[in-house]
Amino acid sequence: MTGQNYAVAGDEGSQPPQMVRVWDGPTRLFHWLLVVSVAVAMLTGFLAPEWWMGTHLFAGYAIVLLLAFRLIWGVFGSEYARLINLARSTRYLGAYVRGLALLRPPHYVGHNPVGALMIFAFFGVFLGLVATGLMVQAGEEKQGPLAGIVGYAVGHAGKEVHEFLAFAALAMIAIHIAGVLVESWLQNVNLTRGMIDGRMPLPRGFRVPTPRAARPLAAGAVMLLITSLSSATLYGLSRMPPLGIPIMPENATYRSECGACHWSFHPSLLPKTSWEQLLAELDEHFGEDASLPADKKDEIARYLSAYSAESWDTEAANRFRLVSASDPMQITKTSYWVAKHRQIDTKIFQSAAVKSSSNCTACHKDADTGRFDDQKIEMPKVSRP
Amino acid sequence: MSNSRKIALISLLSLTNLAMVLPAAADPARDAILATLAEEAKKADPAFGGFSAERGQAFFAAKHTGGKPDTPSCTSCHSQDPTAAGETRAGKRIEPMAVSKNPSRFNKVEEVNKWFGRNCNSVLGRECTAVEKGDFITYLSAK
Repeated sequence: MTGQNYAVAGDEGSQPPQMVRVWDGPTRLFHWLLVVSVAVAMLTGFLAPEWWMGTHLFAGYAIVLLLAFRLIWGVFGSEYARLINLARSTRYLGAYVRGLALLRPPHYVGHNPVGALMIFAFFGVFLGLVATGLMVQAGEEKQGPLAGIVGYAVGHAGKEVHEFLAFAALAMIAIHIAGVLVESWLQNVNLTRGMIDGRMPLPRGFRVPTPRAARPLAAGAVMLLITSLSSATLYGLSRMPPLGIPIMPENATYRSECGACHWSFHPSLLPKTSWEQLLAELDEHFGEDASLPADKKDEIARYLSAYSAESWDTEAANRFRLVSASDPMQITKTSYWVAKHRQIDTKIFQSAAVKSSSNCTACHKDADTGRFDDQKIEMPKVSRP
Repeated sequence: MSNSRKIALISLLSLTNLAMVLPAAADPARDAILATLAEEAKKADPAFGGFSAERGQAFFAAKHTGGKPDTPSCTSCHSQDPTAAGETRAGKRIEPMAVSKNPSRFNKVEEVNKWFGRNCNSVLGRECTAVEKGDFITYLSAK
């Protein structure tokens, strides 16, 4: 007998409840691993500085794996792990809400209807989060499986959705915890413990239907199949070069002439018009005369124009393309640069390890590639007086 | 080790040391650059009586006017001590100016012209005279 997992609360206060095995081991393990992964993702996403991006991505990949497992276990797991069981539970939504309004919510084996709805909502939000997360990672950071497919514009739009969903998830987690606490209080039981030992307290006399057992072999087989298919897909995707990263040859003249006085900026960090203006005004170069013979100047101008911001789809190129109206040749005057470096102590810029805000490589270890990955930021240690 | 062998070894070592110092002090390419500058100096002033390391030292250390406000002196970037490394305003290391520390100084016409051209304008707001350039190279070659 399946499907009848609903009972109206009886006189459960008068005698100790019966403990019914509800949550199987894999479901419990999944739940707590998801808690940890989501906590790490939330902490690194909302609070930690950029260079925790690697950990954030790791948490995201863990959530993908957990969701994949849970969906498969939702088909082959034991009775109360099954999605069909959850879906059926939502049929009793009306009765449940009426009971809740009277502060006497009915008892259920497994999830109550509102809890079941929340599980489906969580699936939707987490799937949306990992999908948009992969889009941002690909479009903005030029990393991950979708880097060869998703461009900056799409990735950037994905970021807006990702952020919205993250706040939605945060709110849902709060509601989920509140729901567990309220129901535990109203029914005078400890629902959280059930997610640890798998047992759910139910009133004596509650007729528990015979649960279906898990089919671990079938689950394993499907997981193996899906893992193989995903691996093959990921391998294929990993062979695709990231969008908008042209192969740029080295230019010795640019390196030696411009690099004699300052870090030789990656050509993608300014648009063509800015490079042209800058090279035309080398005798007034940020407070110094940096004149060059015409042949060298022309060679450098051709090189920088050919690989200027317009030729790249990296986050830096997309952002620094929008130069400051008053200082079109200064990367550090763009609104994006200012916003991104606002919280950094000026002591760090003045420190012996950095010396100048024009010295991108001091902290951005991959600045010479023009990528400026979040994970490649290494702030120098500056001793404080 | 016998005494005679010791003496031979010491002489050999001194010779190698000498050989390491000598080319830095006397680089034909640098001599040619100085000769050209001396010719120019003579053309501008027939009374020109040779370059002076003392004048070069004073020029190197002096605070000049007329140039760009951020760079009033050679020492703004090259540091007070020419045997030490300097630093550009953007924070990049500049190899020492003293030939003893950096034997490749002042031995490429193109480089010499480029840097005098830029830096005289940045520091003095004008071109340097042949005498100033010659004094400068003479001072730093002896350093």
